[in-house]
Amino acid sequence: MTWLSKSITSLGFLFLAHACYSAHEHSALHSTSTATLSSLTSHGPAASAVASLPIDISIETVVAIFTICLALVLGTPELRPIQWRVWAGKIEREGEKGFMNGDGEVEKDYVGNPFKVLESRPGFVDIRKQRKEFAEWVREGGDLATAPKS
Amino acid sequence: MAQVPVQTIHRDPQLFYWILIPITVVMILTGVLRHYATVLMATAPKKQELPSIREQRSLLRGINLRGNANAISGPSFQARKDYLVTSYESGAFLKEPDKKGQAAPNPMTDPAAMEGMMGMMKGNMAMMVPQTLIMGWINAFFSGFVIIRLPFPLTIKFKSMLQAGVGTKDMDPQWMSSISWYVLCIFGLQSVFNYLLGSDNAASQVQQQMGQMAPGAGAQMFGPGVDPDKQFQGEAENLAVLAHHYTLEGVEGRLLQTVKV
Amino acid sequence: MASSLLHPPAHLAPSVALRLSQQAPYLLRTTPSAISPYSISSLWSSAESPELWTTYENLMLSCLRTGDEQSAHTCLERLTERFGAENERLMALRGLFQEAIAKDDDALKKVLKEYENILVKDPANMPVSKRRIALLRSLNRTSEAITALNKFLDASPTDAEAWSELADLYVTNGMFPQAIFALEEVLLVTPNAWNIHARLGEVLYMAASSETGTDKHLPESMRRFCRSIELCDDYLRGYYGLKLTTSKLLTTLSQSQVSRQSKGDTGLPPPDIKDIERLNELATAKLSEIVRRNTSGEAGWEGYEKPEIIAAQELLNRDAAPITR
Repeated sequence: MTWLSKSITSLGFLFLAHACYSAHEHSALHSTSTATLSSLTSHGPAASAVASLPIDISIETVVAIFTICLALVLGTPELRPIQWRVWAGKIEREGEKGFMNGDGEVEKDYVGNPFKVLESRPGFVDIRKQRKEFAEWVREGGDLATAPKS
Repeated sequence: MAQVPVQTIHRDPQLFYWILIPITVVMILTGVLRHYATVLMATAPKKQELPSIREQRSLLRGINLRGNANAISGPSFQARKDYLVTSYESGAFLKEPDKKGQAAPNPMTDPAAMEGMMGMMKGNMAMMVPQTLIMGWINAFFSGFVIIRLPFPLTIKFKSMLQAGVGTKDMDPQWMSSISWYVLCIFGLQSVFNYLLGSDNAASQVQQQMGQMAPGAGAQMFGPGVDPDKQFQGEAENLAVLAHHYTLEGVEGRLLQTVKV
Repeated sequence: MASSLLHPPAHLAPSVALRLSQQAPYLLRTTPSAISPYSISSLWSSAESPELWTTYENLMLSCLRTGDEQSAHTCLERLTERFGAENERLMALRGLFQEAIAKDDDALKKVLKEYENILVKDPANMPVSKRRIALLRSLNRTSEAITALNKFLDASPTDAEAWSELADLYVTNGMFPQAIFALEEVLLVTPNAWNIHARLGEVLYMAASSETGTDKHLPESMRRFCRSIELCDDYLRGYYGLKLTTSKLLTTLSQSQVSRQSKGDTGLPPPDIKDIERLNELATAKLSEIVRRNTSGEAGWEGYEKPEIIAAQELLNRDAAPITR
């Protein structure tokens, strides 16, 4: 989805740049032509200097802006759930994978289940027991290959 | 449309090097200095004694119970309520139980409260003193100089903001005086300080003023001059009149309605 | 920077801990060794972030667990350099380090003595009091740990972590009513913690299984599991417990019709038997759905823990066996 939105955005910006350039060229040409005209006739109306742009340039601008908006909306990441149970369910069901951003990295503010600390209790950690368990795990031949990637 | 002729003033280019840049550099350096002065002057937050921690957290426990009572069953809530209300009323959680009933001490005589006020004074001083000095310095040396011309047109309303200290009526508002540049620096250097000193720096006065406007609500709650016994009595009353609705009542029905396989 | 280094590593699988601690030398080399708050160098070096220090702390725990004491000590030294030796949290961390490298019980007793000395000087030092309680528990002096923890909670009754630890201690001692009380206190602080609701349901279930008056706690337990599912969609642990409790409730209720009339301990009317049946069906269906989707590796269903899935599968098999027979 991202390449699509990026390409559409760049297309929109291209259109917008073209419209700006056209408008600039138009006003430059217009002012020089009216200047020469008014110097010839010497009583040209001053209002013609701010004559309106041709309709195609206006249309191009509007279309370009809509394209850019559309592409930006397409490129937004998936919205986070706002209901507690849906959000909690997403954490439980998908784990870290549900909170990846575009680059395949887990988002920085992802904490998993925020209430997990109430069960792991880092303040009361029993480090000796953990060491023993780890040593046993090594003895049983635990290897990294079977480790869950996180 | 008649074109207004562009006002030109011939300035000595040296003005640029000897006024504009010095003011900017001095402003940045003052900000950095103020940051480090504040860091050095800041006293570590005073450690709380165990009884006062107990006093505050016991009150918080009552507030928690009041807010989340629906998560536990009726009898459990009743037992906790009875315990907390009687302890609150007898003053069992007070820091100094024998002082119950006495009026709160005057915050001016309480050394702990004085310390907090001194901290605030220090912060204010760190802000006020350099401000006054630099303003005086600029007024003495650079008042009345027009230093730059902004590259975009402005309306007449900006004249008072950009040309402070220059009393010329017909000058275009694009021109800027040295004192205005100083004022602009005060408010505009925030992002520079953020870059130099990290986002939680003490250099910016704007932030300091904001901080003084809205002190944390938590500090107010246990601040000096508040009688904890009064708070406990109030909380006991709140708990006593609380109506209890158990969340688990009818949860099976709710679950069966919402979850479909 | 690995995201799991920003969280306390106590619940991680051994393999993850090993992977984290293997990163330690690299991380220690790449991260700045000391960031002083006053030095001029902070003008051009990158600003310090709280994440860096969290990383150090968690890295130290992982290293201690895997036995990489060298790296753990480096982490500890850097933290000390930044925050000073008098920092409460650092005192606890240093104690933890000494606990980990202690060879025998005598060394541990020395650490315990040190904790007590610190606490005599400063009784308000919460992290060190917690360490002392944990060490008491580790030395199998459970009753002392419970007494100390109760004293701690009297001074700080809003500490959900400590209440939860107390509940765990009571459960290991088989004192279920006290454990239920402690878990209810946790819920008063964090009323939306779905795992604590499930934990309370489990403790209630254990209490119901151990005592004779099963009908007292079982409906409450079932409702706790219901609540945990209500707070968290597709919560495997909640459905597992729901299935267990409803099955048990169905058997006890069919055995004794009389007890249904008595009001439960909680003041709630006993649940309708039809509702229980429907809940049981729902739990079975949901469990099998979760197991099926997880084992087939469907996208968005991979977050469950492997042992939990296996246990659920076993429960389903056990349930299915009598029917097929």
